[in-house]
Amino acid sequence: MSGPTLFFSTLMADETKTIARGLQRRDPDLLDRLIEQYQYRLFRYLVYITGNKARAEDFFQETWIRVLERGHQYNGKSKFEAWLFAIARNLVIDWQRSKKAQSLDTLTDPEQEHPLQFADENDPSPLRQVLSQETEENVQASLQKIPAIYREVLVLRFQEELQIDEMAGVLSIPLSTVKSRLYRGLEALRGALQGGAAS
Amino acid sequence: MNENTHQRALQLIAQARVEGMPETDRTWLRAHLEDCDFCAEHARQTDRALRLLRTAAIPVPAGLAGRTQFRVRLRAQELREREPKRRALWLACGMSWIFGVASAPYVWSLFQWLGQRTGVPKLVWEVGFGLWWSIPALFAVAVLLMESSRKGEQADWINQGS
Repeated sequence: MSGPTLFFSTLMADETKTIARGLQRRDPDLLDRLIEQYQYRLFRYLVYITGNKARAEDFFQETWIRVLERGHQYNGKSKFEAWLFAIARNLVIDWQRSKKAQSLDTLTDPEQEHPLQFADENDPSPLRQVLSQETEENVQASLQKIPAIYREVLVLRFQEELQIDEMAGVLSIPLSTVKSRLYRGLEALRGALQGGAAS
Repeated sequence: MNENTHQRALQLIAQARVEGMPETDRTWLRAHLEDCDFCAEHARQTDRALRLLRTAAIPVPAGLAGRTQFRVRLRAQELREREPKRRALWLACGMSWIFGVASAPYVWSLFQWLGQRTGVPKLVWEVGFGLWWSIPALFAVAVLLMESSRKGEQADWINQGS
């Protein structure tokens, strides 16, 4: 392992150990910091798997309550975000089971959902904002065409940049299944975006 | 170029993005993409799709983090307050169970003696003994059920509006 890689991996290990210790103590300041730090990523993940912003907000809050309650179960050996996403995912699945649904796909009913409002927060130019909004709406619309099991792996891999083994942990499925879903998801995304551009 | 060559190229394009690939495959793919417009276009579209996915932004609702922090702090306080009660409850259950095990032979004899004195059928005093012995466990189950029903009520808000 090279010097900088070793340095960063040691730093990361220290960080996850600190988080694990803080969660054991139910340290409120640590939780405040984590909520701030991961708000964007967790919310985005929840929006993609539920397909609904209001529902994602509810699950966002419920996820952090669960982090507080089950914090002692996090051992600091894996990335905190992988554990966080697994908790969020399990909550969504529990809720879905309580609704007697069969798969993640049923979370998104296009007839019931309102289109998401996107905004480019990094660029204040109105024209750029409109263009960007169109692109993002196109991406969002295309993603909603993809079955949820593929949408989920695409988000975890290419937005959250989790490793394949970390994804297997979050999703509780074998590595080979993660890979095959990624390949199919990638193909579906390419096809959906092409279809979106053509329409 | 035959169909298999294109097939291999398309497979490697996906592999490179999903899990990476060896240098030899990379060199082969680079050379193929220079000659094949179809596969080069496929690679461009794949990259475009991933770029769009990576740059798609979803703004977090204003105040969501603050509201969540507030709820988490409230829940933390509630858990802290309940901790001594819960500990006492488990201690009582544990003590009761130990006492139950230790005194079981004597209580059995007592139930037997009472049964004989009062002329109660054997089955009745045996059931009585069984109930006496299982009371701590039943009590613990009742407490756990009450806890879980309370958690269920707390989680009801998440089902609202769905």
